[in-house]
Amino acid sequence: MNRSTRLLALIAALALPSVAGAQSITGSISATADIATVFSFGAPSALSFGTVTPGTAATGSGYIPLSRNVGVIYSLPDGATTGQLSGPGGNLQPTYTCGVGATNAAIVSPFTNCNTAVNQLTLAAPTGLLTEFVIFNGSLAAGQTNVAPGIYSGTIRVTATPN
Amino acid sequence: MTTSRTGLHALFALLLASWPTAVAAQATQSLSIVPVQDLAFGLLLPGRREAITINDVSRRAVVALAGSGPIDVSLVLPDALETHAGDRIQLHFSTGDAALLTTGGTTLSPLDPLQVNRVLLADDRTVLFVLGGTAVTSHATRPGHYTARVTLLLSNPGT
Repeated sequence: MNRSTRLLALIAALALPSVAGAQSITGSISATADIATVFSFGAPSALSFGTVTPGTAATGSGYIPLSRNVGVIYSLPDGATTGQLSGPGGNLQPTYTCGVGATNAAIVSPFTNCNTAVNQLTLAAPTGLLTEFVIFNGSLAAGQTNVAPGIYSGTIRVTATPN
Repeated sequence: MTTSRTGLHALFALLLASWPTAVAAQATQSLSIVPVQDLAFGLLLPGRREAITINDVSRRAVVALAGSGPIDVSLVLPDALETHAGDRIQLHFSTGDAALLTTGGTTLSPLDPLQVNRVLLADDRTVLFVLGGTAVTSHATRPGHYTARVTLLLSNPGT
């Protein structure tokens, strides 16, 4: 075989159509989600001293639940008149103990006090979503209930601020 | 004795005849991926399981694909969404969480995001790849913005 023929054979081999080159491409998309801040009061349970015989002491307890997954600062915007009762005989100011509990039955973290308009309790963010109870236990001394008969009512205002 | 010039003419003729064929074969292999919409679970509450179906037009992931001929479609799926602080939300994908649609929204083929899917793309025609999934939060899931990345791979069979 002469040189030209060998060269012809070589180029013919190289010139045969090649299998089309394999190809791949990649792309990407994002996946996203946002976890909401949970911070809301639930339905309260009213504090009731019941039907009081004038001249006798009386007690009552109430609470309001708070669900949160962030820290909280509790305060009492009404200060000295927090939970004041008003009725036919004027105003009655019960004495309160107050604070937060894991259940509605017992205070675990008490407020500094229950009748000043300052921040009363600061709690850190929980590890997960929780529900706690802001509890008020009220008492009326015997002398306070020796007033005109009738219905005496009021509002306990609690402010919860995310922290 | 054979003249070298005659042989060379034959060589060049053969070379010119065969070269355009090779070029034409490569021109039909173009692929493209164009992200259109992210997989967006939106605002979730702790302790919930949230699923996005392939029919959830506003939240499913959408990617425009173009190519020709048989194409293998596969995914690299994350197992969780994460914040910068390392908090995680589990992600689950299952059969039925992906599909191929026309640009008009008609389903061409359901796809399995957990497998390699062989699809046939028509020349000069864009189709939509859609993806759903499920995010599972717990009561301990902290507030924040969680993200993950899904990688889509298109390849010619045999790659």
